[in-house]
Amino acid sequence: MTISGLGPHGERAAPPERVSLLPDDRAAAKAAGWRVAVVLHTLESDWAKQQLAGMMGIFGDCGAAVIDAVDCAFSPDMQVAELDRLISQRPDAIISLPVANEQVAAAHRRVSEAGIKLILLDNAPTGLLPGKDYTALVSSDNFGLGKIAAAGLSPHIPDGAKVGVLGFAADFFATNEREIAFTKWLQLNRPDITQRVLRFARIEDAAAAADDLLSANPDMAGLFIVWDTPALAAATRLTESGAAMPMATVDLGEAAAIALAQGDSFCCIAAQQPFLQGIAAAQTVILCLLGRPVPAWIALPGIGVTRDNVVESFQAIWRQPAPREVLRMLGLSRGK
Amino acid sequence: MDAALPLNGPDPSESSRPRGKGRPRTVETAAPSLVELLNLVRTGAANTRQELERQSEFGRAVVADRLTMLSDLGLVDESELGTATGGRAPRLVRFAARRAAILVATLDQTAIGVGVADLSGKLLTEHHEAADLTAPPAELAERLAALFRWSMERHAPQGSIWGISLSVPGAVQGATEADFLTATPPVLPAWEGFPLVETLTRDFGVPVWMRSSVETMTMGELHAGAGIGTRSLLFLKVGRRIGAGIVCDGQLYRGAHGAAGLIGSLPVTSGGRSGPLDALAGSDMIQREGLAAAQDGRSPMLAEIQRRGGEITAIEVSQAAQIGDPASVAILTDSGHLIGQVVATLANALNPELIVLSGSIVQTNDILLAALREAVYGASHPFVTRDLRIIRSQMGSSAGLVGAARVASEQLFAPAFLKEWVIQGSPIAHPAFAALHDRLSQAAAPPPPPRARIGQELMT
Repeated sequence: MTISGLGPHGERAAPPERVSLLPDDRAAAKAAGWRVAVVLHTLESDWAKQQLAGMMGIFGDCGAAVIDAVDCAFSPDMQVAELDRLISQRPDAIISLPVANEQVAAAHRRVSEAGIKLILLDNAPTGLLPGKDYTALVSSDNFGLGKIAAAGLSPHIPDGAKVGVLGFAADFFATNEREIAFTKWLQLNRPDITQRVLRFARIEDAAAAADDLLSANPDMAGLFIVWDTPALAAATRLTESGAAMPMATVDLGEAAAIALAQGDSFCCIAAQQPFLQGIAAAQTVILCLLGRPVPAWIALPGIGVTRDNVVESFQAIWRQPAPREVLRMLGLSRGK
Repeated sequence: MDAALPLNGPDPSESSRPRGKGRPRTVETAAPSLVELLNLVRTGAANTRQELERQSEFGRAVVADRLTMLSDLGLVDESELGTATGGRAPRLVRFAARRAAILVATLDQTAIGVGVADLSGKLLTEHHEAADLTAPPAELAERLAALFRWSMERHAPQGSIWGISLSVPGAVQGATEADFLTATPPVLPAWEGFPLVETLTRDFGVPVWMRSSVETMTMGELHAGAGIGTRSLLFLKVGRRIGAGIVCDGQLYRGAHGAAGLIGSLPVTSGGRSGPLDALAGSDMIQREGLAAAQDGRSPMLAEIQRRGGEITAIEVSQAAQIGDPASVAILTDSGHLIGQVVATLANALNPELIVLSGSIVQTNDILLAALREAVYGASHPFVTRDLRIIRSQMGSSAGLVGAARVASEQLFAPAFLKEWVIQGSPIAHPAFAALHDRLSQAAAPPPPPRARIGQELMT
């Protein structure tokens, strides 16, 4: 699978294979006994849990202690405070997902200036440069995810119809890329479709935003939301209002997989590979601490998931059996 | 643009009114001092009233009056207090860089980048995506406008854009200092006849500047990258074309016509062949030699990419070199040596303290950089290389966006340009620009490109 997006500074993507660890690397890492901290936007989502699971395995193999895994609750202020607190603890490396752009840029720069290796996930605040202000960015091919979602939603949209796009108001590399790619794909491949864009600032506002979009556009025939948690909230609200419609989103969380199998709203999910991304991020940390050069942007391709391949996709992404409800809805499990 | 109109030229709004004898209008007397004070604040040369009085040699009353005017125009902010050095803490005078924004874009052979910058040239956001510069120019212009609008929705509401600055892959003829463009200069053969500048000026209602990507990237590297604080810098962009940006005494050297540093046309010899550096060391050569190595069995790695249906470009050859493919390493080494020979000549002539390499081929591998270093160190006078650093850019395509923003920022506030609009508080009111915008708005719009009917609207 190819990577269709470019990095935050126009970089070409390096595949995760570029940060593979050799037995020698693991041995050298074990001898060093590094301390690492992880700072995420949330620890609640399935994506975050998978990401952490991927990291922990590698850090365990390499004898690196994870001294903290911080939940920033999507708050830039909390992230700034937590990064400053962690700097005082002098870990060897910090993996961080910057929850905003300008508001958290200086705090991330302070991490590097303190001599702590900084690996970013999913977002690089404008002005921070790889090799100077951070070591590397590890993310999905978010541009590719937006294209997958558009291509998956398109067959369910009649000619000349209207499609809604619910974007994220925060200036965030990953969600920006998905929104841009989704709208671009439809513009190029379905010029008959009219798109209406609205953005929500907080997850809790997503359902109301879907309502607003629908009120302003009662003829809306489909909806794309830039990730699964707000998408599920919007789907529930639209179904309650009797306005269920074909939807596409990003991230195959457990609830999203069930909703996809149910087939009422979701017709396509562009899935990230958070477990593998966690592995790639942890391997990047180990390699840079060993003094090996690492690429500026490591990107993992997305996977297009529909009702037809949800079981195998879930297994591949989660490294776990698909939820029992999914198996039952698809007639693969007959037990209760 | 014509030379800046004289400040005391006829003002249509006042032409019928009789003037007081011997008493100049406030506009005439205030503009030069406003320009000087604003630029002292903007460049950080002075940030208190006392410093402004000292540096400008204007009296206290004049400084106070002009600062009130600048504050009313939203161009300076005096809300912050400085550190007291005995007595009351002085009020700090800050440039209101967020008063408006600048839209910037880089158009590359294989990618397009857009961004929003504040008036100081600081980049606030950016996005890059793959693009084909050989596609019809109308399509490219449409995509550029769509991305500009998307960026404005996020960072710059309608009416707060003061300029567009473009970075393009070739020398820009006619782009002399301080001039915004009134027509599209010839840059690429594929764009010939397409009114890109006119379209952007008309649709966004702001002046447009354009510089070569080598120039913008050099400025970006100088102001926001590895070149911060350096006085002499040589910047090299390696792509299909190979160009150099020259910084002397902290300033970009553009030459008589903005064509300084076109080193890609210099003749070189390699393996018995002679030709321009572009042809023998640029990405076309790397791609061509990579394809040959895949086909004649010298590179199993590149052959494997082809066997799986993948395309081999210079990027694939660069990546293969990085992971040790011997044939690809040899291709990149040849390229680095050839470029290094030319760069050594420049280095001996200019004695830079820093050489920065950029371009996607350089970003994806270490081989070309190593070969270039070898050639430069081998062919230079020991004094030239004693403290010389040769590094790879960390900015990637962001350098072009930052540099484009600096171009617009410097031109907007160039004294000759600024004095024409400062009283009105917006460069959109600059008489020469207002005349251009009127003319373009009255002219018939070009026929819409094939996909112009697409409806994508933002709900507000």
